[in-house]
Amino acid sequence: MTYEERTAEFKGRIAGGQKIEAGEWLPDDFRQAALKFIEMHANSEVMGAIPEGTWVPRAPTLKRKLSLTAKVQDEVGHGQILYRVAEDLGKSREQMFDDLVNGRTKFHNVFHYPAETWGDVAYIGWLIDGAALVNQKALLDSSYLPYVRAMRRICPEESLHLRHGEELVLELVSGTPAQRELFQDAVNRWWEPTMHFFGPPSKKRDMLLEWGIKTRSNESLRQEFFTTYVPKLWDLGISVPDPALEWNEEKGEWDWSEPNWDEFWKVVGGNGPMTSVRLAQRKTVWDTHAWVREAFAGIPAAA
Amino acid sequence: MAVFDVFGKRTADDDWTLVGGITAPDPEMALVLAKETHFRHKEGVAYAVRRRGEEELHVGPYDAGVLGGVTDHSYRRQEAYTGVGGRQKRVSRQIQERGLRIDRPRPPGHPSRDTEPDG
Repeated sequence: MTYEERTAEFKGRIAGGQKIEAGEWLPDDFRQAALKFIEMHANSEVMGAIPEGTWVPRAPTLKRKLSLTAKVQDEVGHGQILYRVAEDLGKSREQMFDDLVNGRTKFHNVFHYPAETWGDVAYIGWLIDGAALVNQKALLDSSYLPYVRAMRRICPEESLHLRHGEELVLELVSGTPAQRELFQDAVNRWWEPTMHFFGPPSKKRDMLLEWGIKTRSNESLRQEFFTTYVPKLWDLGISVPDPALEWNEEKGEWDWSEPNWDEFWKVVGGNGPMTSVRLAQRKTVWDTHAWVREAFAGIPAAA
Repeated sequence: MAVFDVFGKRTADDDWTLVGGITAPDPEMALVLAKETHFRHKEGVAYAVRRRGEEELHVGPYDAGVLGGVTDHSYRRQEAYTGVGGRQKRVSRQIQERGLRIDRPRPPGHPSRDTEPDG
């Protein structure tokens, strides 16, 4: 069978709803698309632990400190699970981490921004994790089965994080005017990055959709996010900084303002407000903890 | 470093189910990492690892009562957030009573779509 024939057969399996297992023959385009996507997902999990991690020492109560520490541990754990899935697609974990800390690969835009206040921690916990959960639930039906298994592990934890974030938000919005303002200010600053998080409207020919690695378009996911969270924000008296955002009964979808996509491309290109700081943090840990990896692998340290 | 597939059982009557994988130098360390990576939240009652390409299954030493921790780690699990949904409704009602709710059209099926605005 020629390469083209095998690829056509492979595409037929995906079109028929079959799942692809690790170790099976893969067309190069599928392998590369899946690797790039899953590696970026893994990078985002380990980078996403940093903004909230900086708030662990400043959490207002012991209960919050415990739950935030557990959440940060979960996010790093998700990274480990996803790097393992990506490794089977042909790139070593060491190479992926080296590429990340040296700025050669990407991570999600929202983790390039500062978490300035406790209101930001609440926002991230509820709405960034909420946005991530919308995306990740859609991946439960991905064509690549090891990725599906990772999502089955990760989604329940993200759902827990969502509850943690929602509880923080409810505490702030039912508190003093200053506490409400703290959360409103976080919404005002994080809304555009959250719109960016779903990405620009999907291209007409999106390889990730064609291969079934992703199952839904960026715009469909963003619309689900609006439907799930915007009415809840309004119920809590929290406004969204997009005057055009409105449920369009006739179209059966939300109207919204296109954000500044130049800002999105700048940020994911490695020029966000906290990009260099966070990559430097990760690189320092990667370099200074090399001895742990060596000991773990049974390699004697250099004399 | 070797690749180990990780297996778990949700209940004692279940068969082993593949849940993911880890890399480790030997089965002993694979069991440590598998427990921390895949069974930290009381996801099951038993777990095991198998070096990829081999037949031998190495079963974790912890029973259901111990797997996931014996001290109070409820903040790691959904049970710690029971009641958040109800609180959301209560807070929303209070916000409405204070006249702070934003009354704009909601999509069909949303619980507050047909709620009368605060007079």
